[in-house]
Amino acid sequence: MPAGLKKAGLPYLLLLPGLGWLLLFFAVPLVIMLIESLKTGSIDFGFTLTWEFSNYTDALDTYSEQFLRSFEYAGLATLFALVIGYPLAYVIAFRGGKWRNALLLAVIVPFFVTYLIRTLSWETILSDSGLVVDTLRTVGIVSEGGRVLDTTASVVAGITYNFLPFMILPLYASLERIDTRLLEAGYDLYGRRRDVFLRVTLPLSMPGVVAGTLLTFIPAAGDFINAELLGTPRQFMIGNVIQSRYLEVADYPTAAALSFLLMAFMLIIVIIWARIAGTEALLGTEGERR
Amino acid sequence: MEAATATSARPASRNETRGALAVGRRALNWLLNAYAGLALIYLLVPIAVIVVFSFNNPVGRFNFIWNEFSFEAWGDPFGVQGIGDALINSIEIAALSTVGATILGTITALALVRYEFRGRAPVNFFIFIPLATPEVVLGAALLSLFLNAGVATGFNTILIAHIMFNLSFVIVTVRSRLIGFDRSLEEAAQDLGATPWETFRLVTLPLIMPGVISAALLAFALSIDDFVITNFNAGSTITFPLFIWGAARVAIPPQIYVLASMIFLFTLAMMLITVWQQRRAEKMAAIRPDEPETA
Amino acid sequence: MTPNDDHLDREIERLIRNPVTRRRLMQRGAAGALSMSALAYLAACGTDEPSGGGGNGGDGGPKPIPKGKIADSLYFANWPLYIDEKRESLKKFQDKYGTKVKYVEEINDNNEFFGKVRQQYDRGDSGGRDIHVVTDWMAARMIRLDYVQKFDKSAMPNATKNLIPSLASPPFDPKRDFSMPWQSGIAGIIYRKDKVKSEPKTVDALFDPAYKGKVTFLTEMRDSVGVVAAWQGADPEKASVDEFMKAIDKLQEGVDSGQIRGFTGNEYIKDITKGDSEVILGWSGDAVQLKADNPNIEFVIPESGGHLWTDNMQIPVGAPHAFTAEKMIDFVYDPEIQADIAAYVNYICPVSGVKEVLEKQDPDLASNQLIFPDDQFLENTFIFRGLDPEEEQQLDDAFQQVLGA
Repeated sequence: MPAGLKKAGLPYLLLLPGLGWLLLFFAVPLVIMLIESLKTGSIDFGFTLTWEFSNYTDALDTYSEQFLRSFEYAGLATLFALVIGYPLAYVIAFRGGKWRNALLLAVIVPFFVTYLIRTLSWETILSDSGLVVDTLRTVGIVSEGGRVLDTTASVVAGITYNFLPFMILPLYASLERIDTRLLEAGYDLYGRRRDVFLRVTLPLSMPGVVAGTLLTFIPAAGDFINAELLGTPRQFMIGNVIQSRYLEVADYPTAAALSFLLMAFMLIIVIIWARIAGTEALLGTEGERR
Repeated sequence: MEAATATSARPASRNETRGALAVGRRALNWLLNAYAGLALIYLLVPIAVIVVFSFNNPVGRFNFIWNEFSFEAWGDPFGVQGIGDALINSIEIAALSTVGATILGTITALALVRYEFRGRAPVNFFIFIPLATPEVVLGAALLSLFLNAGVATGFNTILIAHIMFNLSFVIVTVRSRLIGFDRSLEEAAQDLGATPWETFRLVTLPLIMPGVISAALLAFALSIDDFVITNFNAGSTITFPLFIWGAARVAIPPQIYVLASMIFLFTLAMMLITVWQQRRAEKMAAIRPDEPETA
Repeated sequence: MTPNDDHLDREIERLIRNPVTRRRLMQRGAAGALSMSALAYLAACGTDEPSGGGGNGGDGGPKPIPKGKIADSLYFANWPLYIDEKRESLKKFQDKYGTKVKYVEEINDNNEFFGKVRQQYDRGDSGGRDIHVVTDWMAARMIRLDYVQKFDKSAMPNATKNLIPSLASPPFDPKRDFSMPWQSGIAGIIYRKDKVKSEPKTVDALFDPAYKGKVTFLTEMRDSVGVVAAWQGADPEKASVDEFMKAIDKLQEGVDSGQIRGFTGNEYIKDITKGDSEVILGWSGDAVQLKADNPNIEFVIPESGGHLWTDNMQIPVGAPHAFTAEKMIDFVYDPEIQADIAAYVNYICPVSGVKEVLEKQDPDLASNQLIFPDDQFLENTFIFRGLDPEEEQQLDDAFQQVLGA
């Protein structure tokens, strides 16, 4: 620790503004939402705190379908993103050469267009009588009277698309960091490309895989825009329910309970994943002084 | 993952450059490249559609079917009532929240990396949680706060919300930059007699600038694009994504695509500039002789 | 539901809004008090009779808006695409009174808007708004919750004079003291002439398997449920909750089987234009515009009945420029001004005398039944009956489930 920088109270002072902001506008609201989830009532007659834990069980019961569906869609989207994104990240990291930055830019660039517009764009592309679907029908992938829009396929495709950069960038970051000397050592040891990949590259890229899957799965599970624009009520996810409960029906207790349940599920998944991968990879604190 | 063969970073053995093995390897290489190329196309197709359709002169209110080419929308991008105001709101909020989040976040990141103090691990974890929380929950929770505190939702509440969710991103980004940071330069400055503040201002800050800037860019992009959290806390203020959400139910004039294309081009330009700046900074900071030049 | 509530009802509602006494009420197990209020509500509304007498019982219901000066600005909240495109009507208002109108198209959905403003209105704060426009049943709720101000009719001579008779006395506001129609419309069947096998005259078409996956309904509960209930034989002007629930079940069936592709607000316009849907439930005003752009699109009132609804202007509590707002409301009831609006918006015009004005400018428009319907045309329409809060919650909840949320 460089001399002169170590003053007792300094760290806490520096932490105060940022941490304070998060405490006030993240932690406190969560607590309030917790309290709200235990109330009963309606918008006409007001809400009161009745420690209604049944709000949670009722919510789980009524909306179990949407919960499961959210995890299903988010899981599929994450898987697809991994399958599509890993080779792309690999090519950019190892074959990119001087085009590396340009390619990365190409990956991030869709993000510069507003999320909603990107999704609306898919609505145009996948329209029933549009070019893409017509082609798919000719080829036989889509049946004669079938459609692509407003199906599970289009919703999952939309989610995959919208979160693909979240998968690719961490993958790239960890692939790029791999010291080429390790690869060389790997070749000397194993000789075959396949072995080098499986035993050197892949394990070393795991932090990126962990980060990428989390960064994709978590927001995907809470998404509702793709379901709303590209799906039918049969594809609606838990995000749609929370939205509706809050902003349409004003059923705040149920909405709050659902939000907490969602958050709880997410945290459980994160913790399990962290156990598997090690917390340092998760928090990005590798290399931090202990 | 058969197609994932390694690169030619290592000298190929004599056997592998000829013969059936070589053909197989090249085919796999080609396949891999093609696969990656397709993925890239997949990423860019909707963007292309947007740019193309911004030149459309649609029949009726919805810009969904190609009708005819026209520059009209580009000539009058703010022609739709309210779109200009919405865009200005978005930009203002994005700018302000970026500044706020970047400053707060950088300071916090510095504190987290540079100092050992009790509770560092829990604080690290706490900062991470907003990133693990779905936007719906973040937005709804904040709304609960405002409702219960009797605060009217509007511009300021949107700003507060944006700074909040940007903070975690900024902290994480800057922190990862700081971790790889070489302290010897700071120590050198100190040895030369600089005060801690001078050291920070003249040595540390310029060197972490690339990280801070990329964090700021990230914050800006996230803020200008945010819909879910804003939707919950906007009151009657309308930002660009909110405008699209509301308008999209009734009409999609090509101007929306025009503005989207403009934002896209602008951010692209910004990105290119910072990347260029970053390279220059890296060249200056890479004084260590034994580190291989990255391509 | 009439604004001239029982004194008791008023008092209880005022108590309920006060957080301190609310807690005490609740703690004393005041479910009784609440149901008393609900009962009083039921007693007072649900029928067409005006409640007792002209005076507001007991210690003063709302007083009408006092006269004042015309302010130099006005905040007018409305739905999108609901006023003439170039806002000529607003400019003319500015020319006449010098008031700059801030026109914000922030209302996309009644429930969403309510959710957004409820907290403010509850505290008597309109958020700066001077006029908002909401559909009948939401207007009724606003009145019931005391979120809107009472008009001083003497400040609105045009409105009083020119309001078409059929809209003059709705059950939720028989003297039009708290609301004035902005536009009216019919929820009926919109279809693609070039894609259907025959003209869909009844709601059967919406459930015809030949159109499976090409049918959408509306997210407005009263539109979708009302039309289906009427088709099932009930009369939505009097039907019981059970009969409405039957309609909701039928809709759920449609969703489960894949017959119904989705529920929409105005976005059905893009679906049917693209061809992603072929036979849908939609609004008359949109149909007029759609037809103009695409002659293959037609609108028809189902034989079992279409839903006639009205969007109403109201002045929220705490509106900073209430008197000016009254003037604005009155202003758009001038047939010359309304003609501008009617020519663009194409919904049912609530102002008499406009037809004559338009006859000179655009005779086609003037003879369009969808904008100036005669009684015969309206014969096949119904007005959804008023619901009390509990019924509303029950039906809303059930309907939301069908919507997937």
